[in-house]
Amino acid sequence: MKKKDATCKDVMHHICENLGEEMNSEKCRGIKEHLEKCTDCQEYFKSVEMTIECYRKYNIELPKEAHNRLMNFLGLEE
Amino acid sequence: MDEKELIKSAKAGDKKALTELVKKYEKTIYNFAFKICRNPERAENIMQETFYSMIKSLHQFDEKSKLSTWLYRIVANHCLMEFRKKNYQFVSIDDDDFIEDEYTIDHTSIPYLPVENNETRQILDRAIQKLPPDYRIVFLLRDVEGLSTEETGKITELSVPAVKSRLHRARAFLRKQIASELGS
Repeated sequence: MKKKDATCKDVMHHICENLGEEMNSEKCRGIKEHLEKCTDCQEYFKSVEMTIECYRKYNIELPKEAHNRLMNFLGLEE
Repeated sequence: MDEKELIKSAKAGDKKALTELVKKYEKTIYNFAFKICRNPERAENIMQETFYSMIKSLHQFDEKSKLSTWLYRIVANHCLMEFRKKNYQFVSIDDDDFIEDEYTIDHTSIPYLPVENNETRQILDRAIQKLPPDYRIVFLLRDVEGLSTEETGKITELSVPAVKSRLHRARAFLRKQIASELGS
C-alpha cells in the first residue's frame, strides 16, 4: 500500500494489527496522514484503545482465603 | 534475595525460597487465569495447578526466559486444555472477509466505560467469552499483560506474524462486541 492510497479500511486494519508497535515506516506515515483528516477513523482508533484500556483496568483481588488454600495445597508455610 | 537466587535456592529444596516465589507471582497468575476464564473459582483452580506444575518442574526451568514468561505459558496451557476438555463452541473468526466486513467496517464509537461498574464488567465478560480461547490468550498477553509480540509468540508457540494476525482479529472482534452491546 502506498502512502497516498490509505483508505479507511487500510487504516482500521493497520490500527488493529499494529497498535502498540513502532509506527514510523512509510506505510505508517500514510496511515497517520489519513487518520489526522478522517474523523470516522479517529473514532475507530479511540474505540480500539478504549476496548484495550477497559480489559487492562479490569482486575480482581486475590482473596485471603484463596491465598491460604494455595499455601495449604502446595504444603508451604509462611 | 533476588529472583535468580530464589530460583536457585528453590531448586535446591529451600521451601522458604519457594514460598517467596509463589507469593511474588500469585496475584499475577490469579488475575491472568481469571481474565482467561472469567470465573473466580476456576481461576483459583488454575492458579493452584499452575504453581503445582511449577514446583514439580522447576528443576527443568533453564532460566533462559523469565520465570513470569514460563508461568504464563503454564497458565495458558492449563486453560487451553480445560477448554478442549469441555469442548466449548465459539464463533469462528478465522475468515478474513468475515473480519473485514463484520468487525472492521464500522464506525460505532465506544464511550468512556467505568470498569469498576458491575454492568460494564458484565459487558466485558460477555464480549471476551465469545472470543475463541487461543485468540483470547494472545490479546490478554500482548494488550492486557503488556508482553511484547515476541514474548507472546514464545508463550503461545506462534510466529510474530501469527500473533499480529490474531491480535488484529481479537481487537476488532472485542471492539465490535462491546459497541453492539452498548448500542442495543
